[in-house]
Amino acid sequence: MKQSIKVFLLSVMALFAVNFATMAQDATEETVAAEVVAVAEEAVEAVAAEVVEENIDLGETMVNFFEGMGLTAMAQDPRYLIMIIIACVLFYLAIVKQFEPLLLLPIAFGMLLTNLPGAGLFHEELFAGGHVHWSDMANGAGLLDFLYLGVKLGIYPCLIFIGVGSMTDFGPLLANPKSLLLGAAAQLGIFAAFFGARLLGFDAAEAASIGIIGGADGPTAIFLTSKLAPHLLGPIAVAAYSYMALVPVIQPPIMRLLTTKEERQITMKQVRSVSKREKIIFPIMVTIIISLLLPDAAALIGCLMLGNLMKECGVVDRLTKTVQNELMNICTIFLGITVGATATAGTFLSLGTLGILAMGITAFALGSAGGVLLAKFMNLFLKNKINPLIGSAGVSAVPMAARVSQVVGQEENPTNYLLMHAMGPNVAGVIGSAVAAGILLSMLG
Amino acid sequence: MTLLAINWNNIILVTCVGFGIVFIVLVLLIAIITLFGKVMAPKAKVTKTTTTTDAHNATVKVEKTEEGHIPALDSAAIAAALHMYFDEVHDEESLVVTIKTVERRYSPWNSKIYGLNNNFTR
Repeated sequence: MKQSIKVFLLSVMALFAVNFATMAQDATEETVAAEVVAVAEEAVEAVAAEVVEENIDLGETMVNFFEGMGLTAMAQDPRYLIMIIIACVLFYLAIVKQFEPLLLLPIAFGMLLTNLPGAGLFHEELFAGGHVHWSDMANGAGLLDFLYLGVKLGIYPCLIFIGVGSMTDFGPLLANPKSLLLGAAAQLGIFAAFFGARLLGFDAAEAASIGIIGGADGPTAIFLTSKLAPHLLGPIAVAAYSYMALVPVIQPPIMRLLTTKEERQITMKQVRSVSKREKIIFPIMVTIIISLLLPDAAALIGCLMLGNLMKECGVVDRLTKTVQNELMNICTIFLGITVGATATAGTFLSLGTLGILAMGITAFALGSAGGVLLAKFMNLFLKNKINPLIGSAGVSAVPMAARVSQVVGQEENPTNYLLMHAMGPNVAGVIGSAVAAGILLSMLG
Repeated sequence: MTLLAINWNNIILVTCVGFGIVFIVLVLLIAIITLFGKVMAPKAKVTKTTTTTDAHNATVKVEKTEEGHIPALDSAAIAAALHMYFDEVHDEESLVVTIKTVERRYSPWNSKIYGLNNNFTR
């Protein structure tokens, strides 16, 4: 019994001892924690006192401010100033001279934005190496970077092609299928410029992108360049749209040089009327045929023909109005600004740009000449002669090139109306340049 | 040196074959469209005669062009009329009355009471 009482008492004492020990440990920890907090508070107070006491160095601050200014960066690298001057020249051409203002104005503004030093509105490095660095897009990509995705992924040119298709009448082409030959001949400029660009030292992909300027088709040029040589997008877009605006200046001398007065006076026979059923089936048929032959051209041709089908079927008026106006205008704004934004000083101010401009105008001239010469050749065999002036309309530039044919034709014969005849090669040129782009993409892409 | 480094075979291949394929594809399209046109084109008689009876019961032939279309001048006239209609370049009244009343003050010179004709009696 006594033994049991001793064990019980010892157990109770042991429990008390453990409890006291725990309490003592807690107390020690609390003390230590309190001491640490006190020391930390003292340190923070000391640091705060030091911060408060530190004086602002006005000189250093001002130096940092001036170093951060765009003007300083511009003084260090005058290429920015040159690019801004070029943007202002494009503004002048767009606003005063009205050279393709719908696209040249946004392109010029994009060029201005991207060349404001220090603003950092467009980040080329996100698209370096020809592909999108998606992981970096979340860190600091701006509006222009996100909008540029539409160009990079080939979205805007295709959407614009839907609008172009919905505003194009393929009736003259259906009425006179021979027009397609003129449209094909006018693609001579593309391949001749490809050849020339290779001689100038551009690689094959770059040369193909430069050559497509000769197609006189802005969306196609941007589509192909964004796939093959995205670093040349700025100069190629500026060259393509500038030359398209200059079609009334570039083409007439070539047309007069290659034709005689008698040839320019040829009056063409009125073309047959085209039924609505033909116009509805045509876009479906062309999409199937060309996409099966050239899958790389399917995106452009498919979008072009979708827009045309919307217009011709007549049952989706709301959609037709949307693609002709709102969709097309929105895409044009985004495309223009972002393409302009790629024209940075580093990429634009180089000898390569001069080469692009030179080959671009060569491509235009050769394309126009190719159409005219083939028309003259066809006249050797045709009973009903065609006016060679409509051959130059084979370069796309719808409807500017057709209007030029009309104007030059009326200079020789005021009663001659070539406009509708020229619209055939003109829309054939759109198909031809899209086919040429598909071929180049499949060969070099 | 640059010229020597260029692979001429590739350039000629892309240029000639590319241009050739463009031609082939479009010539194929010509063939299909021509065939398609023959099947789908609206059928029209070479000449179509309609008879109208005038005061002397004479028959007037209204000839159309070889393809059965209306003549080019008629097309031009219709196009001009449509252009004027859609661009509102027509002589339709704007339905705004522009005639304003003019207040004429009384004067013996324009009086109807003392007119020359008032002296006649019947």
